[in-house]
Amino acid sequence: MVTRRDFVKSCAGASGAAVVGLRPGTAAAADAPKKGGTLRVGFYIEAATMDPHLSGSKVDRQVYHNIYEPLVTLDTRLGIKPGLAESWSQPDPKTLVFKLRRGIKFHDGTDFNAEAAKFNFDRMKTEPKSIRKGEVANIDTVEVVDAATIKVNLKKADASLLATLTDRAGMMISPKVVQERAVELGRNAKGAGTGPFEFVEWVKDDHLLIKRNESYWNKQGGPYLERVRYRPIPDDTVKLQSLQSGEIDVIDYVQPRDVAAVKTDKNVMVLDVPSLADFAYQLNHARPPFNVKALRQAVAYAIDLEQIVKGVWLNVGYPANGPIPPTSWAYDKAIPPIKRDLAKVKARLAEGGKPGGFEFTMTTNNIPLSVQEAEVIQAQLREAGITMKIRLVDASTLISDGNAKNFEMISFQWSGRPDPDGNVYQFFKTTPGTSFNWSGISHPQLDALLDRSREVGAQAERKKIFSEVTKILQDELPMIFIVHPIEPKAFSQRVQGYEAIPDGMMRFKDVWLK
Amino acid sequence: MAEVVLRRLLATVPVLLLVTAGVFALLHLTPGDPVDAMMAESADASTKESLRRELGLDRPIAVQYAAWMGRLLRGDLGRSIRNGEPVLENVSRRIRPSVQLALLAMAISLTIAFPVAIASAVRHNTGVDRLGTTFALFGICMPNFLLALLLIFVFGVTLRWLPISGYLDPLEEGWSGLRSLILPAVTLGLALAAVITRTLRSSLLEALAEDYVRTARAKGLSEWVVIRGHVLKNALIPVVTVLGLQLGTLIGGAVITEYVFALPGVGRLVVDAVFARDYPLVQGVILLIALGFIVSNLLVDVLYGYIDPRLRRL
Repeated sequence: MVTRRDFVKSCAGASGAAVVGLRPGTAAAADAPKKGGTLRVGFYIEAATMDPHLSGSKVDRQVYHNIYEPLVTLDTRLGIKPGLAESWSQPDPKTLVFKLRRGIKFHDGTDFNAEAAKFNFDRMKTEPKSIRKGEVANIDTVEVVDAATIKVNLKKADASLLATLTDRAGMMISPKVVQERAVELGRNAKGAGTGPFEFVEWVKDDHLLIKRNESYWNKQGGPYLERVRYRPIPDDTVKLQSLQSGEIDVIDYVQPRDVAAVKTDKNVMVLDVPSLADFAYQLNHARPPFNVKALRQAVAYAIDLEQIVKGVWLNVGYPANGPIPPTSWAYDKAIPPIKRDLAKVKARLAEGGKPGGFEFTMTTNNIPLSVQEAEVIQAQLREAGITMKIRLVDASTLISDGNAKNFEMISFQWSGRPDPDGNVYQFFKTTPGTSFNWSGISHPQLDALLDRSREVGAQAERKKIFSEVTKILQDELPMIFIVHPIEPKAFSQRVQGYEAIPDGMMRFKDVWLK
Repeated sequence: MAEVVLRRLLATVPVLLLVTAGVFALLHLTPGDPVDAMMAESADASTKESLRRELGLDRPIAVQYAAWMGRLLRGDLGRSIRNGEPVLENVSRRIRPSVQLALLAMAISLTIAFPVAIASAVRHNTGVDRLGTTFALFGICMPNFLLALLLIFVFGVTLRWLPISGYLDPLEEGWSGLRSLILPAVTLGLALAAVITRTLRSSLLEALAEDYVRTARAKGLSEWVVIRGHVLKNALIPVVTVLGLQLGTLIGGAVITEYVFALPGVGRLVVDAVFARDYPLVQGVILLIALGFIVSNLLVDVLYGYIDPRLRRL
């Protein structure tokens, strides 16, 4: 079992060690990068759309981060660094000013400038099908100050916005492409980005091809690869075997069950990338039995997180103390995950008026890992006198049931966001109508802390606020937090120079083939 | 014969109506929502509502079905909710690998099944027969996904003779395209071979016991001529029935094989569409699969007539 301390250490060292082919002591460290070759990447599912403003799928982002660029980007420690914006300043809490790089062109030859940036923000806010609306809701207006400066006026102070702009909400699309062929953009992103690679073709269900951008603005390092070819391979075992047999060079995720075996394969390199994700169960505060706090606590004390992480996740993850993963600067290692304590279960059951135990239903995904986890929890609860029925559903039903609050306890798996706000605010803030606050928690102190976490600029102070939030969540239990998964990625020995960033996105700018 | 075909074709109309109405009702009764599935990462209610309105999902189910039917009568299967692509375009791209896979699997199965079944029947109750029936039992019992993974492990990972996953069109890529279909076709073909072996062996045994076989043998015909000229043709009808049904299943229902080998076929398309609650896509694909079943059954009936002249007038 890896302790949290070990993990925090490994995260802290991520910037140095998590680089494929450049580990200290390997021969590759001495090799100079060389240009050329096609990197063949296997993903579990096909991309949904090439339009970042309309994208609601994680796998899309994997491609975007190579053809589009956001205004700001993440470093290996989740710090914010310049992207298409070379600098930014905050004259007051409700204003962000971005200085944009000059001389950058979209792949279609048009200029990236302040007008283009404004066009993108306006589109995200007004396009009827825009999935970015929620992320940019706090942006009131975007003003063009000069050709290379934009001023973003916020409705209220929002310390999390900068981190939000490191992903799709900050990605810039060529206005010309949008104006001339917006409908087609979903399937054909030719000319649309500014990134190190250009979109070539997408043969649906077969492959998506991108090629090196020969006139890429950033002359430091790559792009070295001639092409990157993405292929959907839905079966995890086959995807892994395709890597082992040399048919592909990279896979985006190795299942926990395969990690140990793959690490012994000399032809394959596995990189444990700690993720931003939190996997949990939401408890419905609006209906029995979990409208009673003591009964929520009884369930939390009956669950043995260490056993789940060890037995189900095979240690490819870390027991969660809350929604914020250990990769985040806001993670508070002084708050331990809730420990199993059967005496406390007994006391809470009595307090909740159910001394003899009670029965409820858990709704979860019908996929092997989720089913195993549910069965282990079921057995642990049974030992504590609580009967849990398992209802298996597909992903679509799960989301609809969650949105409709049609559940008692429901699985919730969130891929995570670089700023802790993205793992917290929308899940626990009192929100009328539909939101990810499926539990229905409404806690004035929590609401005040969540709002304050956006208003406060200093990271140290925000960290304290998030610690307070975590403590309240452990007591109020809108969710029972289970695990922060690691997202292992695997590479053939040919792949060099890959640098892992905990958002799990595979950026191939500096990758080359031996 | 022409009248039979025409009658059968007319009978397809109510079948297709029933199938589409049934699927439409089932899809809408299933929990889940296409907009929720599409916007899993967003909880913005107003965006979802406007998208639902735009896609016509806010209208009553009967109205939605009538609108779909109206478009269908004009030859328009609609557009996928998820990516806006016309359903027909989506399906036509997927049908080619599925048909190629089905035909190759069928060819493999016939190549294996005929000799095994004939040897089993002719050498009834001998070691050869037991070997044949054991093969058939093995083929029927072996789950598709397990056989697929075993084949991948042996021929893809260990020996590296054949590609593990992906699809290249044999009509465009030639040999490398054919290579990409061999493992999935063998996976499907072995199971089908087992079914055909059992069916053919039984009907061969039945035919071998007929008087006309004894007569043929009494005439002094060689055993091979007896089998080929008298027994085999009479034993074919059940096999043709099985083949006809299986062709439809292979084209639309080879989901597991398509998933394992990452083949972009119709089976995978329909399952993905169901998971995404992409109603127009599911409707369109099911309609075409149903049509495929009907046509393959029609072909079987026509073949019956060819094999057995007595059936031509029925």
